[in-house]
Amino acid sequence: METPPPLTTHESMLVKLGRLVIDGTEGARALTSLFLRTLWFTFKGSRPKGSTAHQAFEIGNNSASFLALTMGFIGMILVYQSAVQLGRLVPDYSMVGANYGELLVRELGPTIGALMLATRVGAGMAAEIASMVVTEQVDALRLCAADPVDFLVVPRFLASLVMTLVVVVLSSAVAYATGAITAFIAFDVRFDVFANLSLVDFGDVATGLTKSIAYGAAIPICSCHCGLEAHGGSAGVGRATTAAVVLSSLAIIVLNFFISAGSFLVGL
Amino acid sequence: MALSNASFVHRIGAGVVDLASTVGQMMTLLGRILQRSTPARFDRRELLRHLEFMAIESLPIVVVTALFSGAIVVIQAAPVVQRFGAEGLLGWGAGFGVLREIGPLLTALMISGRVGANNTADLGTMVVTEQVDGLRALAIDPLEYLVVPRFYGIIMTLSLMTVFSDLLALFGAALAGQALIGLSMHGFYNGITGGLIEFKDVAHGLIKSAAFGFIVALSSCHFGLATSGGAPGVGRSVKASVVMSAGGIFALDYFLSFVVP
Repeated sequence: METPPPLTTHESMLVKLGRLVIDGTEGARALTSLFLRTLWFTFKGSRPKGSTAHQAFEIGNNSASFLALTMGFIGMILVYQSAVQLGRLVPDYSMVGANYGELLVRELGPTIGALMLATRVGAGMAAEIASMVVTEQVDALRLCAADPVDFLVVPRFLASLVMTLVVVVLSSAVAYATGAITAFIAFDVRFDVFANLSLVDFGDVATGLTKSIAYGAAIPICSCHCGLEAHGGSAGVGRATTAAVVLSSLAIIVLNFFISAGSFLVGL
Repeated sequence: MALSNASFVHRIGAGVVDLASTVGQMMTLLGRILQRSTPARFDRRELLRHLEFMAIESLPIVVVTALFSGAIVVIQAAPVVQRFGAEGLLGWGAGFGVLREIGPLLTALMISGRVGANNTADLGTMVVTEQVDGLRALAIDPLEYLVVPRFYGIIMTLSLMTVFSDLLALFGAALAGQALIGLSMHGFYNGITGGLIEFKDVAHGLIKSAAFGFIVALSSCHFGLATSGGAPGVGRSVKASVVMSAGGIFALDYFLSFVVP
């Protein structure tokens, strides 16, 4: 396919709008196609043994400390900010922990965690695959009759599906702990009062798990798509990595909206 | 990595030394940037060009992010609001969440992905294709011509975008409130302007966004200039830059939440 000429400021709004729609449709088609091919090769493929475990190690082990750090900060910030706001209305902090626990399970743990994973893991996957594309290693794979989707995308997809869930649960636990410590130090909320999970019901857990799995699938598909589309030397690798971070983050925010709205409308 | 067989303690030590050296290099870069800012000795036309490119190109993702995240704030608050029958407080809750935390934080993460990563990729490509050395050979200071305009461009872009996305996120929240729990736009507006949200809440968010812009700008310029090793090197730099920016944003957010009133 021929690449379209770069946008210039002399084009009319209509031309820009049309190009946006065409690019968007084409991108959505390519993503769906990659997703379907990934699913097909998940069951039919013949990738080397251990490649999934290797990717799982890369994703899980190397992101765990980064996620624990950022989610730890988020836990402290949120408990502090919401307790300060609550204090302006009614200075009764006994329910802070319960509400925070519910919000963490259904929204913050999966979403903020996945946004962090998208920068860390998504950028890594796109950079790796894009470098292989521009140095023609992917063409060499095709020459050996090995489908790049089977060899490169499927292990990352499976590993991310499992490890996103694991890392999200781990980092949410860290965020809960740092939130409890903040509540204790800044607002004198005892740990046994804070550790109140009475508001966390089945619907919250189900929503949180659905989100984790959806994000775990979206990050590798978006990032590998951007990586495989790379062209044009080192500038192309940079562009692909940038695009991967943006696309995965957008996918997470849009998925979050639809899953949250869905679970609210279903009444979970 | 050379240390993959080293013991756990070795790796922690190596990580700390790495981090310290990166922070030191970033501080040196900051010093060199400030030195060229007082008095201003950088290319102003480049600054305007970057501002246009960075801000206009990021508009679509900022719009989408802001509208959706505003709506999500309401979706998450809706069960609580309905439980207590406190529809009048929805505007206050969403306003406070968006203005103080969600708006600045999510905008910073998206701008870091879109503009910061792009900047690292740009500078990294110039470094590995020896264009930066070319500039030096022509006696043009790469910092004055390339780095300083981008540095201020990113900070200004992020601050402006946060104002824009605060407004859009509140609009998205109002729309979601109307669609999900039937609260009229007017009721939502009254909740925001009812006196519980003060100017200092808006200022709190904007001060934080300027600080986020600073960390995104500094880390993206640093990792771009520190690129080595061809095409894979550019990819590695971009990844390191977005990771450093995200970590820095969360750390700064924590400290500023306590310090800024």
